[in-house]
Amino acid sequence: MTTLNISNDLLGAIGGVPRPETDVVVDARDVNKFFGRLHVLKDVSIQVKRQETVVIIGPSGSGKTTFIRCINHLEKIQGGRIFVNGHLIGYRETPAGRGLPIVGGLPIVKRLSVVGRRRKGAEGVTKLVEDREKNVAAQRQEIGMVFQRFNLFPHMTAIENIIEAPIHVRGTSKDEAMVMGRALLERVGLVAKENVYPNQLSGGQQQRIAIARALAMKPALMLFDEPTSALDPEMIGEVLEVMKELAREGMTMIVVSHEMGFAREVANRVVMMDEGVVVEEGTPDQVFSVPSQERTKTFLSKIL
Amino acid sequence: MAESLFSRLGTRRALLVGCLLLPILLAGCSSSVTLQPHYFWDSLFHPSPAIINGLGLTIGISVVAQIIGVILGIFAAMGKMAKRRLFRWLAGFYVWIFRGTPLLVQLTFFVFGLSAAGIFKWPGIVIGPIDILPEILAGTIIMGVNEGAYMAEIVRAGIMAVDPGQTEAAKSLGMTYGLTMRRIVLPQAARVIIPPLGNEFNNMLKTTSLLVAVSVFELYNTFSTAAGRTYASFEFLAACALWYLLLTTIWGFFQAWVERRLARGTAGSADYNGYSLRARLWGLRNNSGNQGGR
Repeated sequence: MTTLNISNDLLGAIGGVPRPETDVVVDARDVNKFFGRLHVLKDVSIQVKRQETVVIIGPSGSGKTTFIRCINHLEKIQGGRIFVNGHLIGYRETPAGRGLPIVGGLPIVKRLSVVGRRRKGAEGVTKLVEDREKNVAAQRQEIGMVFQRFNLFPHMTAIENIIEAPIHVRGTSKDEAMVMGRALLERVGLVAKENVYPNQLSGGQQQRIAIARALAMKPALMLFDEPTSALDPEMIGEVLEVMKELAREGMTMIVVSHEMGFAREVANRVVMMDEGVVVEEGTPDQVFSVPSQERTKTFLSKIL
Repeated sequence: MAESLFSRLGTRRALLVGCLLLPILLAGCSSSVTLQPHYFWDSLFHPSPAIINGLGLTIGISVVAQIIGVILGIFAAMGKMAKRRLFRWLAGFYVWIFRGTPLLVQLTFFVFGLSAAGIFKWPGIVIGPIDILPEILAGTIIMGVNEGAYMAEIVRAGIMAVDPGQTEAAKSLGMTYGLTMRRIVLPQAARVIIPPLGNEFNNMLKTTSLLVAVSVFELYNTFSTAAGRTYASFEFLAACALWYLLLTTIWGFFQAWVERRLARGTAGSADYNGYSLRARLWGLRNNSGNQGGR
């Protein structure tokens, strides 16, 4: 059984009151992505507000995983823009027509062609260039990600996995990181596994450690890429429980998942994607009970 | 009889005994030349200070050159896998040159060639109490640089063996490329790199004998000089071979020990009880439980 702690002020803030849906955390506009010639994302636009949980569903190959990987720039995009907390992710704008931008003394050759097409003499036209690796890394600190295959570091214990990034990226002191790490372990119900290596843990336990590891960076946004797809059925529940708790605490989350029960219970919005296009978007009730699109109906009938 | 000897002693030990007996047998058989076996025995069991010095140089140069090689190999491997074409090109060029030309030519060119052209003359350096002669410095660095070209491919294979998910996880935590390599990828690549690294070092121990060309008095040079001075080539060179054999044999045992330790944790092996790579690499096991094998 997992034990979960919610701080009192958070409970007070949540307590039945509808979440304040104010500022936009994720603002993806007309995102286009190609793998070679394959057009995997076609003008995908999604907004996620603070403390919102958005579940993306859709058949495999629909681009949902690719899309959330674009949000923390694990994938490059060839068109559109993605903003997280108002910051353009992975790219920076430079005035067009000024020649190649100079980064670190060397010209960057790669350029985004789809967005901000370079027009001769056009004033105010900008083009996007891929941002410096260091800046992208800094942006990723604010975006937690949980992977389908956990990707825990096998050469580190559970607690070492959790404190690695706070210490080496954020510069937190080891003592402070340990305190935080233990608190996170408690939160995911795995205090006893502090000094255990990942390969001694079950899939569900590994995934909970992976969630704790992402949370250790105190991200403003959490991305979940099919977090329960690689788990044995009896372990899915414990991971979903942690995620539900997180959503209730007000974490902003985007979840790619086939867990319709989870989507119904937790999601503020469900986004249905197919063939790189957002087919339908709405509250869980709307999408699951009265889907407006034929494609959604077919998909739901197959999996429910 | 030979069969029973081999089966009782094992091939390797039988060969060793054979090597030891060969000079004596030959000394007894031959009539036209007189061998002086005491040169052989003395240089094995009462090695002169020159031999000890040569032995120390061989080991020292091998170790330092191998370390240089590993470091350069890591950078060259990362260069070869870099996004920037310039880095890929530089790393490729380095490997191409140093793997494509003989080490002997590299040694003589960078020492005699450069100084003859007045381009560069190797200096001697002093590190603490140790005075390092120019030819030793040059030889060590050139051997290290040469080794780096070979290590590059080994390290690259090691890096590629690490699950790409590891890099993604590190990136998603905000880790930069350098940090990801240092903390996440290279420690995991080590497991793939270490067995071939052992072979490289075995090679290194023997290849330092080429330093005779730039007059470093390492093991081989010491013996060949003694052989030239006394005309006792057979005795001295046989002893020299045995010294090398001793070095590589000791290293071989060490390598086998390390590899057993590494192999213990391979995924799916039954006797694995969850010791970390680090624990296995450096022998930090805290129990004496069964470990399979020996």
